[in-house]
Amino acid sequence: MFGDYAALIVLLPVIAFVFTLFLGKKLYSGGALLPIAAIAGSFIISFGIFLEIYPDGTVQQSLPWFAGMNLGILIDPLAVVMLMMVSFVSLLIHIYAVGYMAHDPARPRYFAETSLFTAAMLSVILSDNILQFFVSWELVGLCSFLLIGFWYHKPSAAAAAKKAFLVTRVGDVLFLAGIVLLYVNMKLLVDNGTLVLESQSYILQFRKMFEAIPLIDGTQLTYITLLFFGGAVGKSGQFPLHGWLPDAMEGPTTVSALIHAATMVTAGVYLVARTFPMFVATPSTISAGVPDALLVVTYVGGFTAIFAATMGLVMNDIKRVLAYSTVSQLGYMMLALGTAGTVLGAKAVGISMFHLLSHAFFKALLFLCAGSVIHAVGTNDIREMGGLFSKMKITGTTMLIAALALAGIGFPFAGLGMPIMNIGTAGFFSKDAIIEGALEYGEVTHDLIPYGFAIVAALLTSIYIFRLWFMTFTGKPRSERHSHESPGVMTGPLMILAIFALLFGFSQVGFYGYLEKNFELMDVNIAVHEGEAFHPSAFLVLLPVIVGVLGFLISYAIYNKRMIDMSKIISSGNPLYKLLYNRYYEPKIGADLIGVKLTHDVAAQSGEFIDRKIIDWLIIDNIISNTLFKLGEVVRKLQTGVVQNYASITILGVALLLVLLRLKYGGT
Amino acid sequence: MSLYSYLLISIIIFTIGVYGIITQRSGIKILMCIELLLNSANLNLVAFSSYYDNAAGQVFAIFSIAIAAAEAAIGFAILVALFRLRDTINLDNINILRW
Repeated sequence: MFGDYAALIVLLPVIAFVFTLFLGKKLYSGGALLPIAAIAGSFIISFGIFLEIYPDGTVQQSLPWFAGMNLGILIDPLAVVMLMMVSFVSLLIHIYAVGYMAHDPARPRYFAETSLFTAAMLSVILSDNILQFFVSWELVGLCSFLLIGFWYHKPSAAAAAKKAFLVTRVGDVLFLAGIVLLYVNMKLLVDNGTLVLESQSYILQFRKMFEAIPLIDGTQLTYITLLFFGGAVGKSGQFPLHGWLPDAMEGPTTVSALIHAATMVTAGVYLVARTFPMFVATPSTISAGVPDALLVVTYVGGFTAIFAATMGLVMNDIKRVLAYSTVSQLGYMMLALGTAGTVLGAKAVGISMFHLLSHAFFKALLFLCAGSVIHAVGTNDIREMGGLFSKMKITGTTMLIAALALAGIGFPFAGLGMPIMNIGTAGFFSKDAIIEGALEYGEVTHDLIPYGFAIVAALLTSIYIFRLWFMTFTGKPRSERHSHESPGVMTGPLMILAIFALLFGFSQVGFYGYLEKNFELMDVNIAVHEGEAFHPSAFLVLLPVIVGVLGFLISYAIYNKRMIDMSKIISSGNPLYKLLYNRYYEPKIGADLIGVKLTHDVAAQSGEFIDRKIIDWLIIDNIISNTLFKLGEVVRKLQTGVVQNYASITILGVALLLVLLRLKYGGT
Repeated sequence: MSLYSYLLISIIIFTIGVYGIITQRSGIKILMCIELLLNSANLNLVAFSSYYDNAAGQVFAIFSIAIAAAEAAIGFAILVALFRLRDTINLDNINILRW
C-alpha cells in the first residue's frame, strides 16, 4: 500500500520546491506551508513503509533508463530508518524556521531551497543504484551552496558557500572516479559472462555490485572503496576536507541544523554504510585481519574525531563550536564503521547508523537552541552572552538535554551486570556502543589507537559542549543585550527533539536487530569471525561515562565557578591556543597555499601558458585560423548589401535552372 | 481567346516585373514589381485551371494572393522602418546587409 507511493517521498518536496519558488510571494507566510505539508507527507509515507516492511521486508522498484543507468527505489532497513529520521528532523526544522525566518524578506527562496535540499537527501537515501545516488549527491551539494550563501550580500557568506562547494567537489571527483572504476570492473565481468544481468541498464545497481564483490580483483576493490570513501570524506567533512563545515555557519542557523543533522553531512556516512560489504571485502595487506579500506576509514574517522574536538574547545562563535562538534561526531561514525566492521561485521552499520540518528536528533536540537539564543540576543559570540537561563527557560533546558546527550551521560547498569537496563541519553547509548566496538577492535588486533582516539575525543566533547552551555546560560550577563524566550513555533520543535534526545537510546536493541539483517536481505553475507563473547572489565565499561562526567566537572569548575583564570591561558602569546584558535592554520594552508598558490599560481598559470602561448600560437594562429581567415576575406566580398545584386543572382539562378531542366527533359 | 493569349500576357507581366526588380532604385517600386511577378504566376494558374477544368489551380491562386498580401505588408513595414532610420528608401544608398 504505502510501498507503491515510495516515489512520492522524493517527489512531494520537489513539487513543493517548484511551487514555492515561483508562487512563494503569493502564498501564506512566505510559502512556508507547502514545503511543511510536503515533507510531512514524505514522513508519513516513510513511516507507513516502515510499518509495512518491518521486520524483514524491502521495497524495490526499478525502471531502465539509458545505458548503464536506471531509476529505482530500494528501501531496506538501512534506508527506511534514514528516511524517517531525515523527513522527521527536516519537518521540525522547517516548522522552527517559520519563526526563525519570520523577518527575512527572501523567505520564499529559503523555503524552496530547503525543500529541494530535503528532496535531494531523500533521493540519496532511496536510490537503488550508485549513479542515481551520485546525481542526488551532487544535488545536495548544489543546495548546500545555495543555502550557505543564502545571505549572498554578505561577502563572508558568499565565500563560505564557494568554499563548501569547492571542497566537497574534491570529494565528489574522487567518488565519481570510484564509480567509473567500478563500472569498468563490472563491465568486464558482464562481458566475460561471469555476471548475469537482466538488463544492461541494471549494471550499477547496489545488489549487482554486491553480487560482483567476490569476482572483482582485491586491489581494484581497495581502490574503488577508497575512492568512495574520498567522496564521503568530502561530504562528511572528515580530515583533510573538513574546512568547509565550520565556514558553512555563515548561512541561517536553520540551514546549519539541516546540513549538520539531517541532510548533507550524513550522506557521506550513509555512502560508506550503503556500500559497506565492499569495504569489508577488501584484502588485508597492512594490518592482519583488518580490511585495508576499513583501516583507512578507522584512522581518518578517529583522527578527525579528536582533531575537530580540540578546535571546538577554543571557538567563541556558538555555531562554530557546534560545527566542530559535528565534524568530530561524524568522525565517530566513521570510526564505528571501521572498528566494529572489522570485528562485528554487519552489526557495525547498525552501530554507526544508531549514532547517526541519535546525533541527528541532539545536534538538530543544539543548533535550533543556538538559533533561538541568536534570535533573542542578536549575536553569535558566547563571550557576550551569559545568564540567559532565567529569561529563556525552555531553550536553556532543552539545550542542556542536548548537551548531556552529546556528552553521552548515562549509567551502564546492565553493562556492569546489574539486573536493570542501562539508563541514559540517546548519545550515551550510541557513543558507548562505538567506544566498546573500538575496544573490541583493540582486543582482536592489538591496536588500541582508535580506542584512545575515541576516549580522548569523548573527554574533549564533554568539555567544550558544557563550556558552551555554561558560558551561554549561567553566570552574569556579559553585555547589555536584552533577551526573551522565542515564540511557540520555535520552542515546540525544541521540546519534541528534546524528547527524542532523551529517549531514543532505549530503542537500541531493536534497532541493531533490525539493521543487522539489512545486507542479508540483499543476499550479501559479510563474513565475520565470531570471537568469544566479549566482557570488558568494570572500569572499561564505566570509562566513557567517567570521561563524560569529568568533562562536565572541568567545564563547571572553569566556566561557572571560575576556579581557574582562563584569561592568562587564552592570550595570544600561548602557541597552543594560537594553533587551535587559527584552526591549525587550515584556512591558510587550504585556501591560500593549496588554493591560490599551488592551484592557481602554479598549475592554472602554467596550464594557461601552455595552452595560450604554445598550442594556440603554434596551431591556431599559424595554421588553421589564418587559412580560414583569408578564405573569409575572399568570400565576404559577395555580400554587397545591394538588394538588386541579390535579386539578379536569384533570377540568374532560376533562369539557369530552367535552361538545365529544358536540356534534361527536352521539349517541343 | 485561347490559352496562349493568357500565357502571353502572363509572360509580358513577368518580364516587366523582373526588369523592374533589377533596375529600379526605389524600394516601393521593387515591392510593386514583386507583386507583378506573383500576379503573373496567378494569371497562369487561373488560366490553366480554367483550361483543364480543375479547380485546384484557382484555390492555389487564392492562397498565393493571400500570402502576397502578407508579404507586401511586411515589405512595406520594413521600408517604413528603413525610412525612419535613414531618411531614404533609395536602395542604392542602403547597404546594411553588407558584411
